[in-house]
Amino acid sequence: MKAIVEAKGLTKRYGHLLAVDHVDLEVFEGEIFGLLGPNGAGKTTIIRMLTGQTKPTFGEALIAGHDIVREPIKAKESVGVVPEVSNVYDEMSAWDNLVFAAELYGVPRSERGRRAGELLELFGLYERREEKVGNLSKGMKRRLTIAMALIHKPRIVFLDEPTTGLDVQSSRVIRPLIKELNESGVTIFLTTHYIEEADQLCQRIAIINQGKIVALDSPERLKARAEEGHVVEVSLSPATGLEERLKDLKYVNGATRVGEKFRLYVEDVSLAIPVLADFCRENSLKIISINTLKPSLEDAFVKITGLSPEVMAIEKEHAKKGESLG
Amino acid sequence: MARTWMQSLIKAFYIAKKDARVYYFKAPNFTYGLLMPVSLFIAFSIAGRIDPSLIVSGLTSLVILFGTTSIEAVAVVLEKQTGTFERLLAAPVSFFTIILGKALAGLFFGVVLAAAILVPLAVISGTVVANPVLVLVAVASSSLTFSALGVLVSAYAKWVPEAQMLSNFLRFPMAFLSGAFLPLELLPAELGAVARFLPLTYSVEALRVSINDSAPTFTYSMDLLILSLFSIFLLVLGAKVLQHRLE
Repeated sequence: MKAIVEAKGLTKRYGHLLAVDHVDLEVFEGEIFGLLGPNGAGKTTIIRMLTGQTKPTFGEALIAGHDIVREPIKAKESVGVVPEVSNVYDEMSAWDNLVFAAELYGVPRSERGRRAGELLELFGLYERREEKVGNLSKGMKRRLTIAMALIHKPRIVFLDEPTTGLDVQSSRVIRPLIKELNESGVTIFLTTHYIEEADQLCQRIAIINQGKIVALDSPERLKARAEEGHVVEVSLSPATGLEERLKDLKYVNGATRVGEKFRLYVEDVSLAIPVLADFCRENSLKIISINTLKPSLEDAFVKITGLSPEVMAIEKEHAKKGESLG
Repeated sequence: MARTWMQSLIKAFYIAKKDARVYYFKAPNFTYGLLMPVSLFIAFSIAGRIDPSLIVSGLTSLVILFGTTSIEAVAVVLEKQTGTFERLLAAPVSFFTIILGKALAGLFFGVVLAAAILVPLAVISGTVVANPVLVLVAVASSSLTFSALGVLVSAYAKWVPEAQMLSNFLRFPMAFLSGAFLPLELLPAELGAVARFLPLTYSVEALRVSINDSAPTFTYSMDLLILSLFSIFLLVLGAKVLQHRLE
């Protein structure tokens, strides 16, 4: 397979802070590649370096065969960028935003209008094309940002947290669009806080922690790496104030509350369950249900990054609220 | 090579066109650009401290200075704040093209603003402009220089009020030292020497001579040359500082 992104030793230092530390990665033409990492791991910095928005301190990156530092204009011609914040011009209409993007990317004058119309139709914005973008919903602005990234028919699109902060309906519209885009031959480079999203969309995922790539594989293979650990999901009654106490149980490495249930990360199910049963008996707790779970990509993520399950739960909450996590 | 330059210039024009629509041509920007210098002139006129021969050239230069520097700095700062500057950075254009586009928007705005004050002033004062082309060139050169100054200011500002404060820090001393209100000959020698390092001095002078003379004089040509050098210096410095601070 042909690589459209080749990064070697990519490093970014801000003063004393090493944001990205000698990252090597290849993204193959036609795939959906995901970059997952906790808060401040360096995901956005990698995208900013690969799209020519900031220069690497060390290392190099080739985009469609062009060095992003030495030949930035040629490299950028093949790239569409959808940043974390929908960076559209609120004072202009959706149509004018698209035409401006076309002008900036050198789309021939004769094609600008046709291309803008096609994208507005595709993203369900044609009826609102003359309205000032400031009046559009967050989901519509997001769709317009993606449309603007596609105006010049790029070979690769970088999507930084494409559904973060959106309502469920808007996210449900955008995910199939990403798949359709990929099916039409566009390579996708995606960062997301939604691990399920990466699991559903990506063919390969790189996990980044503290500026370093710590794993790079298909979602299925990453999950297989987590199978050495186990997860027990239990529903208890009454359920208040138990999380901290469950964490302290023998053979339990961590515990999180997921809705009405508790998820326990254990080394050995057969050893942990009797301890849990004793705890429930001693505290007059009723076990409503108990299950052992197949490791999810989230479990793999926790295991590989060494993050505690609690931190992951906080990250998910932040992602739901649409907060920027870098 | 020539084709690449032409493409860069065309893209700079598109950026300028977008900036003019999004940021510049709005009523508050016109009123601010006109109001502050006009107020200053009225205040000084009441005090009887303005040389009447300087009113048209001095006031026009001040309007260009106040109008272009403030909106230029604010436009860049707003783009940084809203994330749209990243859109420009990710596009296949050089950083200098982006900055040139921004300065060109300031140039157009400065010309329109200058016309809005110069034409009524000339009519009211009965001033006959000897060669409108010379005036237009002087106005355009001044507008480009002060836009470039606005770009430099924007590099140091994170928020709009900060941009305004920094702009005022440069504009007010310049307004009083550059011969806009009083002929330079009346300033103390030390201040007169300082005035020679300020771009507004050359803008006022170029406008004054272009209003009076029908053909370009040596002074006018020198003023334009110095304004051009200021433009290049401020644009290159502004681009370098802004690029460095965005890293």
